[in-house]
Parts: sequence; C-alpha cells; structure tokens
Amino acid sequence: MEKYSDPNIFKSFNPSGEIIIGLAIALLLIVLAIIVGILAKRADPLKPSKGLLKLAEWAVEKLDAFTADTMGAGFENFGGILLGIVPFLFLSFTIGITGLPTPMNNLAVPLSLALVTFILIHATSVRYTKWCYFKRFVDPIPIFLPMNLMSMWAPLLSMTLRMFGNAMAGWILISLINTSLESISASLFSFMGSGVSSIWFVPIVTPVLHAYFDLFSGFIQTLVFVYLTAERPEDLEKETVYVSRKEAM
Amino acid sequence: MTDIGLKAIGAGLAIISAGASSIGEGNLVAKAIEGMARNPEMYGKLRSSMIIGCALVETCGIYSLLISILILFVL
Repeated sequence: MEKYSDPNIFKSFNPSGEIIIGLAIALLLIVLAIIVGILAKRADPLKPSKGLLKLAEWAVEKLDAFTADTMGAGFENFGGILLGIVPFLFLSFTIGITGLPTPMNNLAVPLSLALVTFILIHATSVRYTKWCYFKRFVDPIPIFLPMNLMSMWAPLLSMTLRMFGNAMAGWILISLINTSLESISASLFSFMGSGVSSIWFVPIVTPVLHAYFDLFSGFIQTLVFVYLTAERPEDLEKETVYVSRKEAM
Repeated sequence: MTDIGLKAIGAGLAIISAGASSIGEGNLVAKAIEGMARNPEMYGKLRSSMIIGCALVETCGIYSLLISILILFVL
C-alpha cells in the first residue's frame, strides 16, 4: 500500500516517445471527431456540405459501403469501429514522414490494437451464437480442446507481429541506409569540415524510402488490418446459419 | 570465431525463410494476374483478395526478420 500513497508515483511515469505520439494522435482524432459532431449538428441538411464535414461524410459513406460489402447483412453497425481504427492506424504508420517516432515501433501499440480486434471478434461471436460459441473449442472431438485453446491466440499474435514487424523493418532499413550514406558523404566531402560534410546524400534518398516504407506500407497494413477485422465474422456467419438451421428443425 | 560472428551467421540463416515467403508471394501474384486477364470484370475483387493474401504470406517473412533482429540486438 505504501507504494500507492507515494506522491512521487506520477513522476516515475516515464513513457517513451512512441507512446506519447500515439496518445497525441488519439487526442487529435478525438478533437476532430468532436468538431465534426458539432458541425454535423449545426449543418443545414438542405444545403450541400463542405469542408471538413464533407470529408467526414465521404469517409462514413465509403466505410459503410465497405462494411455492407464485406460483412454482409446484420453487421452494418461495424462501420463505426472501423472509422475509429482506420485514421489512427494510418496516421501512426505515416507519422514517421515528419521525423517523429512511429508509435508502431513500440510493441504495446500494435498489441493493444490487435487486442481491440480480438476482443471485438470474440464478443461478437458470443453475441451472435450464444452458447454455441463454446462448441468451437471442442470442434471435431473433445480431445482437441487444448489445441483449440492454444490456436485461439494465434490471430492475436500474428496481427500484432505483422504490424510491429512491418513498421520496425522499415525503420531499421531507413536508419541503416541513412547511417551508411552519412558516412559515405562524410568521407567524400571531408574537405568541407565535420559539420556539413555528412548531409549531402541523405536528403536525396530518404524521400523515396519514406514514400515506400511509411506511406505505401502503412496504407497496405491499414487495409489488411481492416480486412482482417471485417473478414473474421465470416465463419461466424456460417455458425449462425448452422444455429438457425438447427432451431428451424 | 567470436560470439558476434556466430550471431551474424544465425541471423543470416534465420532470414533465409524470407526467400521462401517471397517465392510464395510471386506465385500468388502470378495466379491473381492470370485470373484478372481471363476475367477482367472480376478485377476489383481479385485485387483486394490478392493484397490480403500478399500480406498474409508476407507475415512469415516478417517473422523471420523479427527473429534475426532479436538474434542481432537482443541475444
């Protein structure tokens, strides 16, 4: 108990830069959502919207169409969580362009994002299939219970490591190339003095690397995460059909 | 032979599986484009499932990359 009454406990809270940037992105998106909400309440429905509201309307329309297309009927209300996850994912992958630390380089951020999807999938599964949810653990025969319990965690692990590995690989490659280019430039232009000799090659090569590893890879990873979130309930749908067929019999 | 040299050999061996993963990815894209050429009206659906498949296949390569990073920097 003594630990919790210590007044210095908040001073020992010392998050890394990745966590701070992640929280800042989340805060920015929350503020944007509040602004869009106020704008949407004040807007005149008879006039065409413009500016930020138009962008928000476009995003909602697209994601609703995507959800209806991929997940089918009965899952329309999933557009909301996708609209919450997509901007955060895309911003946290692409924030590396500005030189700030990418939140995905800290394992805690992709793990928590994957945990959101994991819990969502299982909660939806319980909600739609009720007690038949537990049937998946003894799927062919009850002996498979330990194996099914183990394989339940595989999607969580693969989703986490996919995002973390992609961001980390890009970051390591970019910093490796930058370091080597710096030393090449420093040895070629050594007559200029130690301050300015190492800056000549990096700005030429870095934009290409950032465009591929941050923008393109971030876009693809966001797409894949959204698809995986949206695609999972497909086997759920089969279960639901199975349940309803059994009830009809 | 020093410890660092052995670590480098281990990391190099771990990244070999990325080659297998990229062969699989190449097969996937080749087949997808074949399907697109035969059936151009399915272009959109084939492209999106191709991207998902690529990402799923790529995961194996990323695992090997993570293992080699762990060998180099953590071990």
